[in-house]
Amino acid sequence: MSECIVITSGKGGVGKTTTTANLGVALARLGKRTVVVDADIGLRNLDVILGLENRIVYDLVHVIEGECRLRQALIRDKRTENLFLLPAAQTRDKNAVGPEQMKKLVAALKAEFDYVLIDCPAGIEQGFKNSIAGADRAIVVVTPEVSSVRDADRIIGLVEAAELPEPSLIINRFRAKMVKAGEMMSKDDVLEILAIPLVGMVPDSEDVIVSANRGTPAAFDDKSIVGEAYRRIARRVTGEVGVPFIATEEPENWWGVMKRWIGVGEAKEMTG
Amino acid sequence: MTNFFNSLFGNPRGSKDEAKARLKVLLVHDQVDLTPSQMDAMRAEILEVIARYAEVDREKVDIRLERAHDQVRLTSSVPVRRVTHRGALSA
Repeated sequence: MSECIVITSGKGGVGKTTTTANLGVALARLGKRTVVVDADIGLRNLDVILGLENRIVYDLVHVIEGECRLRQALIRDKRTENLFLLPAAQTRDKNAVGPEQMKKLVAALKAEFDYVLIDCPAGIEQGFKNSIAGADRAIVVVTPEVSSVRDADRIIGLVEAAELPEPSLIINRFRAKMVKAGEMMSKDDVLEILAIPLVGMVPDSEDVIVSANRGTPAAFDDKSIVGEAYRRIARRVTGEVGVPFIATEEPENWWGVMKRWIGVGEAKEMTG
Repeated sequence: MTNFFNSLFGNPRGSKDEAKARLKVLLVHDQVDLTPSQMDAMRAEILEVIARYAEVDREKVDIRLERAHDQVRLTSSVPVRRVTHRGALSA
């Protein structure tokens, strides 16, 4: 059975594209045939986060306008089996595509893939409507900040108004130290406000910046705690239950780094 | 592994250089990106101009935007059958 999941947030800059890329990598590495779709027409970025920008010939708009076949536009990620990218058009505007066309496209993709992940653009306009049109469910990405949680609340309302099932939540850029010091909203604080099921917590980490610089998502790196967070999200997405959440930052002392490097370190975990 | 050595011996070429290099290529591409139909139109117009001077083997024409390392380059391979003189007369 295949499924189309839209990754959305309302607010820009909270990590939708990074989440889509990493979740895509992690699902592919679990053996699921996965395609990640960049729905941000005119401002594509998913290609860059995945490091596939030099391989684009055709894009989503070409497919929709019949200028090429779907398979011609799919870029296979050579670093893992099962992962493909459908890039957005860079030189077109958002109105080049409509919800009905997206529904058809998603249906065609679902025939070929186990998971279709849609990277939704920021905002609640056309791009959002297109992105949710073909989706079976939504994952909302939020950072523990007032503005992000507020926009997430709005988006949850819009997702439910579109008659999609209750979305699940990823809390991104979580800083355990700040939470401990009472300077950042905790998981429970955020969940108390948004009241939707949690599917993942991703610690704030420099890994994300380095992996974006390189075009290599952290989910490829078995030593990265952020990569581990995304791999766990992927397991939960596929239906595995009881996968513990990561609640720690990167170990900062040299011994922690050493242990992780030689592979004996374990992410501190928190259940629930 | 590389991270470990980088942290031990300093980092001669961190990921920021990679980021800058990728960005430079990206920006060039963004600025010269043509859709396939625009490419077809350009190809047809170029051939139209060449046809005034020479007879070309249209089947074997190859005109494309190539993504070289740090630039985008218009390359063309246009086999000429023979040069015509019509062009010289009208010019």
